[in-house]
Amino acid sequence: MGLSLNHFLVLGALLFCIGLYGALAKRNAIAVLMGIEIMLNAVNITMVGFAFYNTVKPWSTYLTGQIFAIFIITVAAAEAAVALAMIISIYRKRNTVDVGEINLMKW
Amino acid sequence: MALYEYSWLILLSPLFAFAVIIFGTRMWDLATRGRVASQPAHEAETHAGHNGHDESGSDVELMHEKGPRGEDLIFENIEDPKVPELTPGAKISGYLSVVIMALACIYAWILLLNTAGLISVAPLLPTQGISLTQISYAWCQNIDATNNCFGLGSYVIAFHLDNLTIVMLVVVTSITLLVQFYSQGYMERSAGYARFYAYLSLFAFSMLTIVFAANFLVIFIGWELVGLSSYLLIGFWFNKKRKPAEDRLSPSSASIEAFIVNRVGDVGFIIGIMILFVSTGTFSFSQLPTAVMHMDKAVLTVAMILIFCGAIGKSAQVPLHVWLPPAMEGPTPVSALIHAATMVAAGVYMVGRTWFIFAAADPLAFQIVAWIGGISAIFAASIALVQTDFKRVLAFSTISQLGYMFVGMGIAAGTAYGPGLGMFHLFTHAFFKALLFLCAGSVLYALHHATHKETQDMRVMGGLGPMMPITAIAWLIGTFAIGGFPFFDSFFSKDNIIAVAFDTGNYALWAITLITAGLTSFYMFRAFILAFGGKGGNWGGLWGGTYRGKVYRIAGVEEGNQDKTYLVEMSPEEKEHVKVPHESPLTMTIPLILLMIPSIFAGDWFNFYPYIQAGAPALTVRDVLDDWKTWAGLAVSLIGFTWAYVMYARVEFARIHDYVQNRAFLRSAHRVLLHKYYVDELYNLLIRYVVFGFSHIAQAFDTYVVDGIVNGVARLVTTIGRDVRHVETGRVQAYMIGFFGGVAVLAILVFALVTFVK
Repeated sequence: MGLSLNHFLVLGALLFCIGLYGALAKRNAIAVLMGIEIMLNAVNITMVGFAFYNTVKPWSTYLTGQIFAIFIITVAAAEAAVALAMIISIYRKRNTVDVGEINLMKW
Repeated sequence: MALYEYSWLILLSPLFAFAVIIFGTRMWDLATRGRVASQPAHEAETHAGHNGHDESGSDVELMHEKGPRGEDLIFENIEDPKVPELTPGAKISGYLSVVIMALACIYAWILLLNTAGLISVAPLLPTQGISLTQISYAWCQNIDATNNCFGLGSYVIAFHLDNLTIVMLVVVTSITLLVQFYSQGYMERSAGYARFYAYLSLFAFSMLTIVFAANFLVIFIGWELVGLSSYLLIGFWFNKKRKPAEDRLSPSSASIEAFIVNRVGDVGFIIGIMILFVSTGTFSFSQLPTAVMHMDKAVLTVAMILIFCGAIGKSAQVPLHVWLPPAMEGPTPVSALIHAATMVAAGVYMVGRTWFIFAAADPLAFQIVAWIGGISAIFAASIALVQTDFKRVLAFSTISQLGYMFVGMGIAAGTAYGPGLGMFHLFTHAFFKALLFLCAGSVLYALHHATHKETQDMRVMGGLGPMMPITAIAWLIGTFAIGGFPFFDSFFSKDNIIAVAFDTGNYALWAITLITAGLTSFYMFRAFILAFGGKGGNWGGLWGGTYRGKVYRIAGVEEGNQDKTYLVEMSPEEKEHVKVPHESPLTMTIPLILLMIPSIFAGDWFNFYPYIQAGAPALTVRDVLDDWKTWAGLAVSLIGFTWAYVMYARVEFARIHDYVQNRAFLRSAHRVLLHKYYVDELYNLLIRYVVFGFSHIAQAFDTYVVDGIVNGVARLVTTIGRDVRHVETGRVQAYMIGFFGGVAVLAILVFALVTFVK
């Protein structure tokens, strides 16, 4: 028994849940960022999986899913750079990276 | 016919005078007054300093100043601010008004003499009169081919001239002219002299609008303008305070009262006009008598009674008479104008003008007119019996005489007289009432100069006859004219109303008017004796003379005394302040002399009834003398004169006072009359408990319901906002939970739908 689409989907779903848990539950902003990265990559795996196992012509000949994944990796890299810069900036201002305390938008 | 067609000039002349004064001379005055204006301001400051020490506890502070020419300037709490001398602009304003009104008056007299057939410069007027101008406007833009809007005719500004108009033209222009002439003396140094003349001219214009009106719309415009002008003039001395000791309002309150009471009547008036217009589609006096034939008679009667409400208010008849006595607070020439020609005459004239519409209605309408008049006549006359304020006696006599006019209008129903009976009395009354008021003004003027106080109480007057003979004779003639002394005015105009009341079977009204005639003679002669009679003395004869006792002044309101005023003897120092009054200047006596003539002879216009109403019987001396009712009226009138003479000239005043006070019935009757049947008090109660009660309810509704809804909505929004804002924690993870939680719920929902709902 080889790999099937379901393996990819289950892996993607698991990774997404792990990432979501990290993003929601962690107090450290960097951990939250890492959770978000995991969620993005979970989506990438799902996407590539769908693209690889697609047999319906003509879409099976296209590389849409893979290209989408590459785009997401690129955007994720940029996002990580911006987010880390923001976290550093917040740290400098408030001396903390605890998302529970970053509540400027409170009522 | 050109003589008649240009009569609109009479209407426009006072408006022209008004405009020239307001925009011309008065503006010029204001522009050039800078140097002069600084002087009164400076004087006012010095008086403020004088106000500090009150001299000898007197209720009126006197302030003596020397004018620029060394004359005494007397200030009484600066109630009526005096100016040292009139500015040229003010003088020109006065002369201009007088000259323009004189021209209008001459024109009016030419019209009258011509139409009465005494001179002939133009052919007689046709019976139905001529139309002067007629300007037609559409009510709105959405008009159909016949210039109609929603089925309503267009509205027309139209003026009209007929014999009825000419009679009123003569009355209005003559009285206004004499009053304006007289005011040159009476208002000689009053501040606002030019303004006064502007208002007088506006008043004349307003009344002439009513007189010339050819339809209800125009008469209503004039009606309201008259209300406005009277408001301005009654409140002319707006600095004056009220005088509780003499039961007198401040002029500003009096003017507001006059305005508001008139509005009460006007509500009925305008509703009546609207009923007529909606039913017939026209306002025109010439078309309405035929147009109302198709109306439901009950509706027409209601409409006419409502229209009469306007006349009740304007002519101060019984339920709405309360504004007229306080209106005495205005300058006396204004009172003369209001009472003789302009204000109160408007109600009678309007009923005369719409007489044929009244005639088309149920006889009930005329019965109401006559009975309101009759009740007012005896009601006001009985109050006048005990009043001690010089001008207030005249005010009640006006109400009483207007009552006669309405009786004359009402009882003429079904006779050939038409509106002539009432109009004749209006015509003669205008002259002798103006005469009486100008006399009263002359007396007040003289006393003000003599005592430096505003003195209106007849009990402190007396013996003025020898000191001011012209005024005394004029008052006596006015008294005879109003009392129906043989061959004076009322002998023909008033007694004929009484006689016709008997002839038409209104015996109750006949009795009422007959008794009122006696009361009228009594109170007018009483006023004459109290003011002018007596031997003369230190100041005032009656109190200083041999049979009247001492010199008194009005002291104030006694604690707990319902009679409001009491008199105290003057101290020697106070007596020294009192100078001897003397006859008024020529500007004031000339109008008196001129008015004596029509007060005696106006009643001799025997063709008045046919002049007003074609086919009405003319009055002849023979008929009058042959009629037993004339002698009955004369007897009652003479009883009144004699009674007054016996009571006030032969008996000591204090004895009468004691006699009345010692008898319970007389005392309570005297008190009721002195308080004018407590109508003012009744209205006060009515307003305090009914009107204010209703406004309290309305206020509660506003506070708790209207405000409650508005504030409640606001409070609800605030509360929701305050509670819901706690969702905004500011923590990103909380928002993410919401976001992903929502996605999860949606996913479950979609899954459930896809799975279970095929």
